[in-house]
Amino acid sequence: MIVAKPHPIRAIAVPVLTGAALAIWAFPVLWALLTSFKTERDVLAYPPSLIFTPTLANYHDVLFGATSIVPNLWSSVIVAVGATFFTVVFAVPAAYALARLRYPAKRASGFYVLATQMLPPVGLIIPYYLVLQRVGGLDTYFGLILIDLTLTLPFAIWLMVSYFEDVPLEMEEAALLDRAGRFGALWHVILPQVRGGIAVTTIFVFLNTWNEFLFAVVIGGNRVRPVTVAMFNFMSVEQTQWARLAAGATLAMLPVILIGLFAQRHIVKGLTVGAVKGGGRR
Amino acid sequence: MSADATTRTGRPGNASRGSIRLEGIVKRHGATTVLHDVDLAIEPGEFFVLLGPSGSGKTTTLRILAGLESVSAGSVTMDGEDVTTTPPGERDVAMVFQSYALYPHMSVAANIGFPLRMVKVPAAEVARAVEAVATKVGIQHLLARTPGQLSGGQQQRCALARAIVREPRLFLLDEPLSNLDAKLRLETRLELHSLQRNLGVTTVYVTHDQEEAMTLADRIAVFMDGRIVQVGTPREVFATPQTRAVAGFIGTPPMNLLEGVWQGDTVTVAGHAFPVGAHAAAPRDVTLGVRPGDVRVADGGLPAHVERVEDLGDTAVLSYRAAGALVKQKTDRTVVRDGDDVTLGFAPGSAHLFDRTTGARL
Repeated sequence: MIVAKPHPIRAIAVPVLTGAALAIWAFPVLWALLTSFKTERDVLAYPPSLIFTPTLANYHDVLFGATSIVPNLWSSVIVAVGATFFTVVFAVPAAYALARLRYPAKRASGFYVLATQMLPPVGLIIPYYLVLQRVGGLDTYFGLILIDLTLTLPFAIWLMVSYFEDVPLEMEEAALLDRAGRFGALWHVILPQVRGGIAVTTIFVFLNTWNEFLFAVVIGGNRVRPVTVAMFNFMSVEQTQWARLAAGATLAMLPVILIGLFAQRHIVKGLTVGAVKGGGRR
Repeated sequence: MSADATTRTGRPGNASRGSIRLEGIVKRHGATTVLHDVDLAIEPGEFFVLLGPSGSGKTTTLRILAGLESVSAGSVTMDGEDVTTTPPGERDVAMVFQSYALYPHMSVAANIGFPLRMVKVPAAEVARAVEAVATKVGIQHLLARTPGQLSGGQQQRCALARAIVREPRLFLLDEPLSNLDAKLRLETRLELHSLQRNLGVTTVYVTHDQEEAMTLADRIAVFMDGRIVQVGTPREVFATPQTRAVAGFIGTPPMNLLEGVWQGDTVTVAGHAFPVGAHAAAPRDVTLGVRPGDVRVADGGLPAHVERVEDLGDTAVLSYRAAGALVKQKTDRTVVRDGDDVTLGFAPGSAHLFDRTTGARL
């Protein structure tokens, strides 16, 4: 009989490795947090001082000063919420169709969805720019959300397909026989069972679009300038305002970290369900 | 959908409903043909069983009745109305799936009431109907639970209740007992039978278990390789199998089949002549069929070697090696033991003869 006690090496290695990984991840975050409470002079002090008089001046500046990032935070909210909304609205029926309906070239279209993810976005940005310029979509929310969709939609569809495939076909057939109709079957029987997947997809897409920088800096402009781009402006040729940058970064990270904390259990569960049940999909 | 109490419980409304016709049904999946020209007529109120080995086309036929599969050719008629292309929800047909297909996110009550809510039956009426059918199948105390909190047997009842709540003209049951353990299966089989009798709803029941078919059915259609090879009452199918394949499928264990030559009043198997009740003028290659229950240990019969004795308590199944084939005997008295050498005969008038090449009954 093998006793289910962790091997001594394992008992030590797991916390050490987890701790190391956590430290690597947490260090820049904590450093930014510390820096955001320092004056510019303290920031540049060498060796770096861990003991200093904290100040809220940086937060005051980035919130209410001449270089306020509040409009940019708004901009980010509009882009992230808009892109997330349209991604989910389009991805759910698309994934359902890919998972269920039998039609010619189903495999090919499924692969196509995934293949679009394999193109590096940087290679697409120039054609996107030119197309949007032609239709007057530069520096508009419409333009940036549309381009974000090209990135988020394939991923969201791919993620949702495995959730739909987990719902037994017989359940849908039962709903059809129970007079729900195809739409009713989707609404009353299928969607309630994939709501965990929809939640995970929503969170992922929101985080991705909130963090998105490349498209925002190219497609955006003076009117549409998400916070990721705005922070870039704290760095200039003459000097970099590290403390304000850190305050801005902390504010920008806040929703991401909060969502992560609240949803982490869902996310982990959601991803492993998708990964295990949708085996071999990758 | 009428929801008044008299049609819900009474039979008059059902007596004339539920006449089903399948004519010339062909079903192809790409290059393979799953159903070849299937014809079937099911009478109102009948308990009709589709029996056959897996892959014989019985489930496909059921799904065609449900409207879940399209047909490549042929027509489906219900109560004189052509429903060949009618969607499942508009056929007035209810189905119990092998997996039960209960909706896991809904309570038992919501599951049972679902088919009524989908056609906008008022909530109070739905609640009354749900209560009534739940009582009928004995799960009225479980209405607030979700399917995940039910045992297999209770889930099965829930699925049954969801099917009967709407008083359809046709019930379709796809191996509904196969997920239950042996004891529960026998109990449920009896209950299912009396439930169907009480409701009087035409029922089509798919199974590969011929004991289920024999005990439940008014009539059986035996499926083999995408064709219906025989339709009849359980007794007819058992007593006069129309083909060698049906003979080899029906019965536990199924009929013994021995190659022989029929001439005059006897069939000669491995040099031993058995008297049969029919006469052939010219010698003819046949397959001789004998039910295991009709096999006897008799002097001067076919030499046989006992290979195996399976004692079931009240009966025993004996396996013999005889004439190069495996012969089974079902008996309530075990007079032989493993390794014995005996000679076998069979009860007079119990021989079935089939053409060796076509397999047709002679």
